[in-house]
Amino acid sequence: MIMGPIRRAIDRFRGAGSAAITLPPMDGAIRPNQAIEVATLVLEIEAPDNLVFDGRNIFFSNGAAVLSFDPAATTPRPETIATFDHPVTCLAASAEGTVIAGLNDGAILFAAGPRKGQRLAEVGAKPSCPTALLIDGGTLIVCHGSRQNAPLNWKHDLMQLNASGSVWRIDLAGGAPTCLADGLAFPYGLAADSAREIAISESWRHRVVSARSSDTPLLDNLPGYPARLAPAVGGGYWLCVFAPRSRLVEFVLHERDFCADMFREVEPDYWIAPSLTSGRSFLEPLQGGAIKQLGILKPWAPSRSYGLLIRLDAKFLPVASYHSRADGVRHGLTSCVDLGDRVLVASKGGNAIIALDAAAQAGDAP
Amino acid sequence: MAGTDAFVRWRYRFVPDHVVGEILSKRWTDNLIPLFFLLMTVLVFGAAIQDFYSLGYLITAARQLGEFLLIVIGLLIVMLGGGIDLSVGSNFALANIVGLIAMNVLGWPVWTSLICTILATGAVGLINGILVGYLRLRAFLTTLVTLIMVRAVVDILLLKFSVPISGATPDSDLWEYIGDGTMLGLPFSFVVAAAIAIVVHIFLSRSRPGWHVAAVGGSRRSAFNIGIPVRRTVCMTYILSGALAGIAGFLYAARLGGAGADTGVGLDIGALTAAVLGGNSLGGGRGSVAKGILGAIIVLVITNGLVRLGFQSGATSMFLGAILLLAVSIDVRWFKNRHKVLSKVYVSPTYFQLPPRPSTLPDSGSPYALNDKLRNVEVIGLDQIEGPEDVILDRDNNLYCGSRHGDIIKFFGPDHKRSEIFAHIGGHPLGMAFDREGNIQVCVGGMGLYAVSPKGEVRKMTDETNRSPRSIVDDARVRFADDLDVAPDGRIFFSEASIRYESQDWAVDGVECRPNGRVICHDPRNGTTRTVLRNIRLANGICMASDGQSLLLNETWACRVLRYWFDGPKAGKVEVVLEGLPGYPDNVNRASDGNYWLALVGMRTPVLDLALRKPGFRRRMARRIPMDEWLFPNINTGCVVKFDEQGNILDALWDLGGQNHPMITSMREHRGHLYIGGIYNNRIGKYRIPGADPNWTAQDHYWGPVR
Repeated sequence: MIMGPIRRAIDRFRGAGSAAITLPPMDGAIRPNQAIEVATLVLEIEAPDNLVFDGRNIFFSNGAAVLSFDPAATTPRPETIATFDHPVTCLAASAEGTVIAGLNDGAILFAAGPRKGQRLAEVGAKPSCPTALLIDGGTLIVCHGSRQNAPLNWKHDLMQLNASGSVWRIDLAGGAPTCLADGLAFPYGLAADSAREIAISESWRHRVVSARSSDTPLLDNLPGYPARLAPAVGGGYWLCVFAPRSRLVEFVLHERDFCADMFREVEPDYWIAPSLTSGRSFLEPLQGGAIKQLGILKPWAPSRSYGLLIRLDAKFLPVASYHSRADGVRHGLTSCVDLGDRVLVASKGGNAIIALDAAAQAGDAP
Repeated sequence: MAGTDAFVRWRYRFVPDHVVGEILSKRWTDNLIPLFFLLMTVLVFGAAIQDFYSLGYLITAARQLGEFLLIVIGLLIVMLGGGIDLSVGSNFALANIVGLIAMNVLGWPVWTSLICTILATGAVGLINGILVGYLRLRAFLTTLVTLIMVRAVVDILLLKFSVPISGATPDSDLWEYIGDGTMLGLPFSFVVAAAIAIVVHIFLSRSRPGWHVAAVGGSRRSAFNIGIPVRRTVCMTYILSGALAGIAGFLYAARLGGAGADTGVGLDIGALTAAVLGGNSLGGGRGSVAKGILGAIIVLVITNGLVRLGFQSGATSMFLGAILLLAVSIDVRWFKNRHKVLSKVYVSPTYFQLPPRPSTLPDSGSPYALNDKLRNVEVIGLDQIEGPEDVILDRDNNLYCGSRHGDIIKFFGPDHKRSEIFAHIGGHPLGMAFDREGNIQVCVGGMGLYAVSPKGEVRKMTDETNRSPRSIVDDARVRFADDLDVAPDGRIFFSEASIRYESQDWAVDGVECRPNGRVICHDPRNGTTRTVLRNIRLANGICMASDGQSLLLNETWACRVLRYWFDGPKAGKVEVVLEGLPGYPDNVNRASDGNYWLALVGMRTPVLDLALRKPGFRRRMARRIPMDEWLFPNINTGCVVKFDEQGNILDALWDLGGQNHPMITSMREHRGHLYIGGIYNNRIGKYRIPGADPNWTAQDHYWGPVR
């Protein structure tokens, strides 16, 4: 242990050990395909986020508004049910018709139902950062992504190497919130398992942990940054992965001096950082493998954005995955809802809500 | 932060990081470790033993060295060819006794005895050669067997002739001179060995059979495939080794004049240690006489030093064996890891600060403002061509472009629907220009400057220029000829993008951002080629300016356009015409209205601009992550701008969606249209220029309308 600093210096020189830049491969159950890219388009709308289902209607956020539509309709027409002063960052819905929204300024309030407009007690250190909500009986579970940044500034939080997120339980009837877990690196998704134990997706550590103990993760070494978890009909879970890990980003995360200058001089959209979407501007950083050859961008090119949805079994092990690769556009998947016959997925980076046919098995990339 | 920035700037200006990689890439760096080891040995023994380097001792040592060196050279020739000769020690003993029998017993003249000796040992070499070379036996076992058998022959001869040998003394001055004489103060055997070393060095490094030896040792199968007589070459190495052992043994006989049972015992291990210690690879293909000399000196210093220190002879062998083990393990490690080390240290980024990036927003009022003028260009040759870096048109409206397959493809005018392969050059044509006679002068990546006649005959113009004395990489060879133009008097000025990288590694040059480029002038009238301008950060497009005395030169990584005067009152001067471009300029060509078209191959990204000021960041990036993941210049979007000689931007043509032209490397105006090429594209674009002269051709503009 005395060797720690020396060891680290040697590692840094050789690029080994703690300074090594190695990523888990997309293989096994996470082998690439184009299932997300070719899935049916349900709705084309700017940056849809956090799809939730109350048993009758689908709710989702779009900027500062909460919208809803009937999933049974052939051409869904979303209606605005609430509009706020700040962008909505997360939603939760219960079968009783209650919809709760978290806002970018930290507020958590009822967006629909009998208590519409009522605010819930803020939790944790301010400014708080609600990134995911889950109604669990008479209580609300809240993910607070970070103490330093608002939810939409997630890119800053990652590049600052923060790990200040926490998860809280609030009694909807009133009472003091209780902290379920702390010291998390951007918790961004919640799910309750059959024993009503809470599972949390921890984005910057690329894993899913249990609220009871984060020592042994339920799922580790993801090739991307996980977002929302959703229960799957028939057992298991869906895990949205909103951005891929890349060796360039992992390398830049080690380069603190470079990062400091980048924060100061460059707009966040053009940082070397994961992104919900990419390739929209020539001011974005480009990696060598992403140069178009003969007019074609290779699907396996290094990319700052990606679309990945992973089906987990009841033990949180991946069993299948659905992709939109570097040459696709349906990137930045942040949430999904399993309706039984199909899965609705929000592609926040691709400005679309799509329906994945549950009968269609994830095959290999064509 | 300004302070650290200034420090970084000065540190990278004054510390030449790139030198390390360039030195490591030289073949002679293999000799550095043995040389260092030699110096260490000399110093250690010189300090441990008084008078170790006295004159008398040095002369004795030089005499020993002469004989020993010949053995080592013979062995290293065999090793270079991929074999090993363990029989050198026995062969040496055989030469000793044969020489003595011929001189002392038979009383033959010296020359006859020498030839007889060489024939005897050469015959042993021939047997080895036939067994190993032609019958394909294992070199190690075969020569081990010949070692034993030749030793047996020597013992038999000893039994029979040791008494008569010691009883007679040859009456020959020459014999005595060979044994004891000096030439210019140097022992005769040393002079002989030095002369032979020079001859063998020239043989191995400058002659065809010498190269064949290294080729066979490097890769036997490849050598066979390209038609080298592998078996004969291998056989020849053993014969040479035998003959050299013969000369060494003869010199030894003349020096000591006695035959003993222990002659040449342990010589094989000593010679092997010397050869390997010097850096000659046991696997073959890598070795030189210089390495042999280094190794021989080290081994002699160590053995003599140990004897002088009072060690028993067994200790010497033990010590040599240990060194041999060490040398072999270093040899393996070095050979295995050298290219890895090289690939890690060769890329040496430097500090560079670009001027602020001008806006390209559509409503910014900037001359570079985005538009969609190139969206609806007509497309020529879609999916028929790959990589038309440059395009050019002749007076009959035929279009010529390069392809990555090494061809020049001709699209027949006026509609450019039909095409043929006009000429095959073999390298990727990167820049083209017509000369007065109507030949296409072409810069070919990896090959140099070539000319293609109107009939399609390919002729090399030049592929080398003058070697600059202070450059470590060999900059005489043109590796990355990029673009050219022809001066009114016929001189061809062409750019070489980088002297440190080949054309496929252009992006590595960009990560480095070092001034590696230059401009070269070739004069076809007398065939001379001279470098006229150096230190350009990727020298790219070249176009003659209107005065006929200067040229416009694109400095790609510096995002600027330079003007260089090669004639007239300002000859030799360089001025900046355009600075702070929003992207990386590639080719530049004349427009019909007296201005110039400029292709921006890619656009600057804020993050890369920042990284250019962080050389350490880029160096670590190059070492830690694979090249496909590196931060590159964004060449997925390009544009064309028009500018005048005063540096005013007059127009900008964009393809916003990048549908047709994700990258633009060149453009050529011809009869009212602009033809657009791209190095990684699969098409050529044709854009109608509003209001352009419909009869203007570049060829008429350069060389007049007459044929």
